[in-house]
Amino acid sequence: MKALVTNIQRFSLTDGPGIRTTVFLQGCNMRCEWCHNPETIPMKPVELFYREKCIACGRCDDGCTAEARVMSSKEMSVEDVMREIRQDKRYYEESGGGVALSGGEPTLHADFAIALADACHKEGIKIAIETNMSLPWAHIEPVLRKMDFIMCDIKLNATVEHMKFTGVDNQTVFNSVGRTSKLGIPMIVRTPLVPGVTDSIENLKPIAEYIAKMDNIVRYELLNFNPLGGSKREALQKEDLSVEAKPLAKEKTDALLAALLEVKGLEVKVI
Amino acid sequence: MGKIKFINEYPADRVFSYDERIALLRTRKVEQTAEKAAAGGADEDDYGIVVQDEFKYTLKPNHPNGSIYGYKAWSENYCSILQQHPIYVDALDAFSAKGFFFLERLRPVGTKWNPDYSYPDLQAIFDRYQVISGIDNCHHFTPDIQIGFEKGWDGILSELKEERAKHDESHHEFYDAEIAVVENIIAFIRRAGEEIIALSKAERNFQLSENLRTMGEIDLRIAEAPPATFREAVQWCCWFSMISRTYNRGSAGGQLEDLLNPFYERDIAAGILNDEEAVFYLACLFLQDSRYWQLSGPDENDNDRTCHLSYLALEAADKLNIATNLTIRYHDKIDQKFFRKSVELLFKNKQGWPRYSSDKALMDGFMRCGYPKELARRRVAAGCHWMCIPGMEYTMNDTIKVNLAMVFEVAWNEMMALDGEKSAETLWTIYAKHLKIAVDATGRGVMHHLNYQTKSQPELILNLMQHGLVKKGVNITDGGANYYNICVDGAGIAVAADSFAAVEQRIDREKRMSYVQLQQHLDENYSGVDGERVRQMMLHSERYGGGDSLGDKWAVRISKLWTELVRDLVNQHAGDYRRVNFIPGLFSWSNTILLGSLLKATPNGRKAGEPINHGANPNGGFRADGSVTAMCNSIAAVQPGFGNTAPVQLEVDPQIANDEEGVDKMCAMIKGIMNSGNTLLNINIIDAKRILEADSDPSKFPDLVVRVTGFTAFFAMLSAKFRKLVVDRVKSVNPGACR
Repeated sequence: MKALVTNIQRFSLTDGPGIRTTVFLQGCNMRCEWCHNPETIPMKPVELFYREKCIACGRCDDGCTAEARVMSSKEMSVEDVMREIRQDKRYYEESGGGVALSGGEPTLHADFAIALADACHKEGIKIAIETNMSLPWAHIEPVLRKMDFIMCDIKLNATVEHMKFTGVDNQTVFNSVGRTSKLGIPMIVRTPLVPGVTDSIENLKPIAEYIAKMDNIVRYELLNFNPLGGSKREALQKEDLSVEAKPLAKEKTDALLAALLEVKGLEVKVI
Repeated sequence: MGKIKFINEYPADRVFSYDERIALLRTRKVEQTAEKAAAGGADEDDYGIVVQDEFKYTLKPNHPNGSIYGYKAWSENYCSILQQHPIYVDALDAFSAKGFFFLERLRPVGTKWNPDYSYPDLQAIFDRYQVISGIDNCHHFTPDIQIGFEKGWDGILSELKEERAKHDESHHEFYDAEIAVVENIIAFIRRAGEEIIALSKAERNFQLSENLRTMGEIDLRIAEAPPATFREAVQWCCWFSMISRTYNRGSAGGQLEDLLNPFYERDIAAGILNDEEAVFYLACLFLQDSRYWQLSGPDENDNDRTCHLSYLALEAADKLNIATNLTIRYHDKIDQKFFRKSVELLFKNKQGWPRYSSDKALMDGFMRCGYPKELARRRVAAGCHWMCIPGMEYTMNDTIKVNLAMVFEVAWNEMMALDGEKSAETLWTIYAKHLKIAVDATGRGVMHHLNYQTKSQPELILNLMQHGLVKKGVNITDGGANYYNICVDGAGIAVAADSFAAVEQRIDREKRMSYVQLQQHLDENYSGVDGERVRQMMLHSERYGGGDSLGDKWAVRISKLWTELVRDLVNQHAGDYRRVNFIPGLFSWSNTILLGSLLKATPNGRKAGEPINHGANPNGGFRADGSVTAMCNSIAAVQPGFGNTAPVQLEVDPQIANDEEGVDKMCAMIKGIMNSGNTLLNINIIDAKRILEADSDPSKFPDLVVRVTGFTAFFAMLSAKFRKLVVDRVKSVNPGACR
């Protein structure tokens, strides 16, 4: 069983409970302009060019030794990935962490995700998934059932806006999020705070109210804008996104938190 | 600049809380640090010394080269200093013990070692392999303050005189020197007491006047008698630290609870001390000197020794919040609330304290040397990367470094000069031969040092706090110690390991070039476009710290060989009457710049003259994600495992632990590091942006403290080169941990 892996990030502290190793897979069905991992969107490996690393040797065809030109992903087997994962087993145990499967959209690689989850569980390692929940429930349910923790995004409440900025309808997302209750797997719902797109209380509050009724929700996380995607877009030699590429100021995130306090029974946190 | 008496600075009727006094003393400390930085700074520990203009001492040499050697000269010069040394007094402070300089540094440059005992043959080997031999270095072992607490200066003096009477003339030079030193210490502390009492009468503020009077009275008592109260015991520590530093920078400290808790509990029970006062006294202790203290850890029955005083020590350090060298000894049964509190303070203050040692790894290692558990447990953190049993060991800790990267260079040059097969394995065979030559010479250097150090610099102060030494009547290097556990450190392991890995990967396996071609690029320091292209290829080979990489494999191989060779020195010198043990470690201290400066370009893509890696850490850029766990696993795998350390030097972004959950994760991280075989964690919590701003203008950040290597220092005190060491580490580690 193999998949295209764009990155394996050890000592990840923001991808679920505890200390985790995050496995990023290539390919996503959404087209979010603000994506901080834009190189993971295409289904095939793409070339990234990091200008600041280029030594201008003029011998690109011989292979770049400076790693200025790199491919976004490489094919790895479950065992290849496990070799990296098991090195930090001690830290998962100490922290209540484990693996986080991310992307791209990892449920596009359902068989790989299930095989990796089985391999982790066989070695006593817990696994979480970061998913956009937009694929059909019948497709994602077998994957989610294998997970110990779910993190999913609801980016926009308005259907039209969601389609506009992600290229995907959000009704499936809401429906699938709602159906996770019956799985009994703890879940964090997240919304990336994209200035001028997702960061209004009008967008966030309905999402908060929707998930507040569910009994498997650990909390609602607001992911402050991550400008890292800008440098990656540059490396992909694409134009940067139109939204203002700066994280929200603390005053703004504090105001959002205060407004969301009105939603009862829901913990909200800015990351 | 240089003021040493702070009297009548406040109105007569002002009343100070303890917290106000700590805050004012901290401000004074920051100002004095700025003065030290203006006077040239220093790339080392703070030591609590004060720059002043009032007193300068001119050495009275006993050798034509202008230096001093042997018991008599050291004793006479030291006593002369004590007779003239002005008393530093601050009416806000609880204690009165500040020094201004070290006698050992008044000697002319290049005259530390007695030239009558030169070692040209060994020096030639040291030069070839860039061995810092430790010959001529002083202190770097730990006194047991408890001896002073039990005997007092008068008791020590009496014992010296009694033992002198029992010994023959061959010991009289030792006793005469020590007796003169102790008599002058007593006179000095008594003079301080008298002067401070006189000043108390001049101080207009009633509260501060009373403080000075008490301070002076305590000095008069403990000039001779053992300390009887918590405040007296802490004052005793301060005096010992000052007189020891003034002699030869000698260290002190120890297990804080063992030393001070009996006084604390007694005074609390007697109703003559409360927690607020205890915290103030501890803050003043940490202010007086940046000496190393260990907190927590297990007792002799494996139970946690954390007590209320442990918490008060953290509280005092928090209130003072300057360069404080506190080490938490982590073990399975540690008071979790205390451990978490320490992590919270680490992230709250971002001043590089505390740091953490692993009881299990240290115990297991030291017991492999043949020592019982009881002794292993008494070995406490007392220096940058080192442990020592107070009052029992002579160690030369952190003074001996063998440049593993320079040994690689010598081996490489030899292989390239030979006609035979060239490969990583051939290179390894030659490397092993040269490393043995370097290590064996280092061992002979240690014995030379032990044999003749008394003729250069006897340890007249630290000798006094050694168990049984006064009865023996000899200097600590001449059999005065109970145990000789000599610390021998390898430096530059990452440069050597990455160089082996790059050669194996790029030449032997991938056939990307020949050895001759690489030699040419090394000779040309990777110059030109082709050179840079090759350098980048070597730089991006599988590196130490990568996790199960070729570099990791080579690092383990080097560490195992290093450990075997250093341990073999025990057999080579088994006949010596001191029964000398040699313990391997991996640490560079701040010699990364020095040891890299003479090293040519290396196959790992490092250019000529660039620093070697820090301690046991991988080279910068070891992984794209800079994973802390990958790095710590790699360092755990190269631990020599005999009770000395190969520390983890870790730079962490403060945002990682900006809430409860973040602190939980950091607690888990530290536990993981401690439980994975690692011995010591030196940790900095530094915002990359802040450190870059401070580097461009250190004066804007006068109270920024960083853990440079094992020691913490005010960033503004460091030279540009040493600041760069810290800045480069901060920039290279953990870029992907935070969104």
